[in-house]
Amino acid sequence: MNSICKSYRNIGFETQVLKNITLHINEGDYVSIIGPSGAGKSTLMAIAGCLSQPTSGEYILDGEEVGKLSDRKLSRVRNEKIGFVFQAFHLLPGVTALDNVILPLVYSRNPPSDIKERAREVLAKVGLEHRLHHTPGQLSGGEQQRVTIARSLINNPPIILADEPTGNLDSKNGMETMKTFDKLVKEGKTIVLITHDSEVAEHADRIISIRDGEIASDTKRQPSNLSGNL
Amino acid sequence: MNLFSSFAIAVTALLAHKTRTLLASLGILIAIASVIVMVAIGKGSQQEVMDVIAGMGENLVTITAGEMKRRGGRLRLSGNVTTLSPRDAERIANEIEEVELVAPHEEKRMNAKFGNNAAETTITGSTLDFPLIRGYQIEKGEMFSERDLKTASRVAIIGKTAIKNLFGEEDPVGQVVKVHFIPFKIIGVFEAKGVDTNGLDQDDLIFIPLPTLMRRIVNQTHVSRIFVKISSRENILPASEKIRELLRESHKLNDEREDDFSLISQLDMEEMKRETSELFTKLIVGVAAISLLVGGIGILAVMLISVKERTKEIGIRRAVGATRSDIIRQFLYESLIIGFLGGGIGIALGVGLTLGLTHWGDWTLLLDQDSIWTASWVCAVIGVIFGVFPAIKASKLDPMEALTIE
Repeated sequence: MNSICKSYRNIGFETQVLKNITLHINEGDYVSIIGPSGAGKSTLMAIAGCLSQPTSGEYILDGEEVGKLSDRKLSRVRNEKIGFVFQAFHLLPGVTALDNVILPLVYSRNPPSDIKERAREVLAKVGLEHRLHHTPGQLSGGEQQRVTIARSLINNPPIILADEPTGNLDSKNGMETMKTFDKLVKEGKTIVLITHDSEVAEHADRIISIRDGEIASDTKRQPSNLSGNL
Repeated sequence: MNLFSSFAIAVTALLAHKTRTLLASLGILIAIASVIVMVAIGKGSQQEVMDVIAGMGENLVTITAGEMKRRGGRLRLSGNVTTLSPRDAERIANEIEEVELVAPHEEKRMNAKFGNNAAETTITGSTLDFPLIRGYQIEKGEMFSERDLKTASRVAIIGKTAIKNLFGEEDPVGQVVKVHFIPFKIIGVFEAKGVDTNGLDQDDLIFIPLPTLMRRIVNQTHVSRIFVKISSRENILPASEKIRELLRESHKLNDEREDDFSLISQLDMEEMKRETSELFTKLIVGVAAISLLVGGIGILAVMLISVKERTKEIGIRRAVGATRSDIIRQFLYESLIIGFLGGGIGIALGVGLTLGLTHWGDWTLLLDQDSIWTASWVCAVIGVIFGVFPAIKASKLDPMEALTIE
């Protein structure tokens, strides 16, 4: 993934949430973005995930300039290339874990024939094979988060964007979640982790710190198993 | 994303909010049901009127002395004209080939007496063709004869209402009734016929030979009416024209003078009643349009609330790859289903009410297939029209904003 991102974001009265951010993330990177609340982390992730568009600047994802894509193509990018893990889980209420995990495949252009089988496999991978037919309300926070992770993986996207994945979890479930991410990186996924918890951020190989809409620091840990970075 | 899965999503969402779905479709439901029943009532009463017109005599042309004018929706006679005579009736019968039967006719409201009972009734004088033209059937006893006409005999056939008023439960055949101090022997009874298009009781009569009425009671040589039966429906118009010419010639009317008689055919009566029922139909359409609009606004309101309430759901769907058109389709299907649900139940209710009222109530309703088809289409159209706006609104939301909205 190549991304040069330079963006302003106005909310209401010309509030600049992001100011001239330029960032480059490579395929296979394990990046965490850290910063206090209100620094613009989530906005950055929304833009990275094609959930909203920058006011100005360009964002190139996998060689395509996102700002120039139609809604149909953007939706496809979200569907095929990006898996989201949200702090608030964002599962459909009243719908079973299995159906929640299937959701991306419902909107997929080439859905596999064995949708249910695939969903079961992914749910088993996150350790929820016994909770297939429970609705989010019947699941604990940790379990819900695992459903969310399963949903982000079902369409096998190269990139996982996680916004405060441990924010609503206790430390034990948080650890579990982080272990899952560590494993996914080894499988070759690009992971962008947004957090305000420096301990969580430490899992990543590269830590970008954001303050007041600007990059304050960009540090890389000693390379351990990285395929390539700047 | 295929059609079936959008449909399935819509159904699931509607099932999750059963009460709301039902409330949304209620407006459409009531509108469609009432339109179907109203149309059925309209059609039924129209059919009833047509039956009454046909019951007054098939292929009937009525010639009335004087000019007929429409006043208050009914035909009324104006002027007192003495030119129409039984001789005209004879000429019409002999000279116009499309004419099947002719009956000169005179009537007068008078008191009739049986023993101590007295009741006002219509004393009707005419010829043998009269019951045939007007569809009166002898139920009991017999009709008077050609000879009774020639000799102006004092015999009478009596209608059901007159029997009730004069005799009560007693058998009238063979009894003697006094009209204008003249005794008449009852020789027959007419079957009941009910009311005519003007709501007049056709069974309140004592029918006697025309010459008897003219010579012995009213003492005149003219008649006020001639009933003519034409051989077929197609011949009514040409025959009417011939009758008009014949009468003008017979009454020695030159080109400047107006007719001193009026011709009213079965076609004219039907036309008049059709105009009335068309007005009624327009009224129904107007009421239907308003109630469907209200129903549609109900759908609109519910869909707008639904979109607002499910903003987060829209955000989630968009985040995992739903396109704008996927979202539009989902909400459009929901409103379509609401429309069809309301329409379907409305049609069932309307048809059920119609059949029920016909079966158990004293109503004549006629189900109109067109109204059911139209209703179905209207449901679909309303579903789409009032669903489009909320659907587009839903799809326009920025995915991130939709997700973070509280």
